[in-house]
Amino acid sequence: MIFEPIDIEISKLSCERDDRLLFKNLSMTLNPGQILRVAGPNGAGKTTLLRTIAGLFDIQTGTIRMNQLPLKECLEQILYIGHKPQVTKDLTVLDNLKFLTGSDDDHLKRALSDVGLKGYHDSLVKELSQGQGRRCALARLWCVKAPIWILDEPYTALDVEMVKTLDTRITWHSAAGGICLFTTHQPPQSLKYTTLELDHVT
Amino acid sequence: MSLERRMLTRELKLNVARPGEIFKPMWFLILVVSMLPLALAPDSDLLSEIGSAMIWVATLLALLLNTEHLFQSDFSDGVLEQWLFLNRPLAWLVGLKLIAHWLFHVLPLILITPIAGIMLSVPTDVLWALLVTLVIATPALTCFSGLGAALTLGSSRSGILGVLVMMPLFVPIVILAAGVLIRAMDGSDTLPLLALLGAFSVVAATVVPIAVSAAIRLNIGGSN
Repeated sequence: MIFEPIDIEISKLSCERDDRLLFKNLSMTLNPGQILRVAGPNGAGKTTLLRTIAGLFDIQTGTIRMNQLPLKECLEQILYIGHKPQVTKDLTVLDNLKFLTGSDDDHLKRALSDVGLKGYHDSLVKELSQGQGRRCALARLWCVKAPIWILDEPYTALDVEMVKTLDTRITWHSAAGGICLFTTHQPPQSLKYTTLELDHVT
Repeated sequence: MSLERRMLTRELKLNVARPGEIFKPMWFLILVVSMLPLALAPDSDLLSEIGSAMIWVATLLALLLNTEHLFQSDFSDGVLEQWLFLNRPLAWLVGLKLIAHWLFHVLPLILITPIAGIMLSVPTDVLWALLVTLVIATPALTCFSGLGAALTLGSSRSGILGVLVMMPLFVPIVILAAGVLIRAMDGSDTLPLLALLGAFSVVAATVVPIAVSAAIRLNIGGSN
């Protein structure tokens, strides 16, 4: 599968939260196939930047355009996985994914076996371990057709095996022409990416 | 499967998984109604006179009790913010959520009010008026308390605050409903007041989802 070419153009983006300036005049262009790691110390504004690009925060100053279109018109192109669980504890793994992705059962079961949750489709999410819950949320990467992935701390609570699987999946996504933005404090070993360093601006 | 069906299926499954949420307000209503004759003199004339009004107020409170956390668990799980990526207007999804809430939580409450009415020896024709007012007025009440819930999503002790914020909007509905009940007891025409109540519900159902979606956006924008 190859995605339609898509680019993200960020120009002069600034953000201030609770009287602290997080980033100022941030400009960059993300091209098809690009993997960008947003790095920086705690509180540097990594999550804020990702949520702004995902359209969850209103832009304070500056513009974000996708394929020359304003961000608000392109939200269905985005798959955002934040650091909240993203799954409902009282529903089964399959029901959670069915609601969020709209994929059919067979497709979802394949995705679940890809993330090592084979046979867990009828388990309630509250019966899973934290890492398994995270795997369940990440299983969406195996069934959604959105070209832009925005992943906030996707490696949290994952074991070595799953980290590798996720790296492979992100590489596949980039090879298909998709864009991936993510944050992490442990630089992934088997992934080629560019880094955007956010420093405290005081 | 269309998104609308997915949404309603999810609500159904969530309610099957959390039956307490449905039964808690029903217990509340029955408790209030069974305590009332004990607290008052057991005079059946007095009870049948104030019974319908008591049931109405108890139902309103029970409804507030189960609507105050309408969006809370989806919000803290991060599922609510995923609604923004679902390729539908947020107000439409909110409308679906409110409809599902009315079907699974408010309708069961209305269905047990005849039992409450019999317990307080409310006359049959007043009981009918009570049922009709509840069916017509609860969509507006559900919408308004949903708005209260959405406005206070970000604050930790949101429950009572949302109810307080929305109280002024409940007042006209309660006054109109009381008017219907009084007229039903006199045997006079209740239709004009019922039409007004219906108008309230129609306006609420069309306008409130937009306000709720704005409130949800605001709260998502203010959280991590």
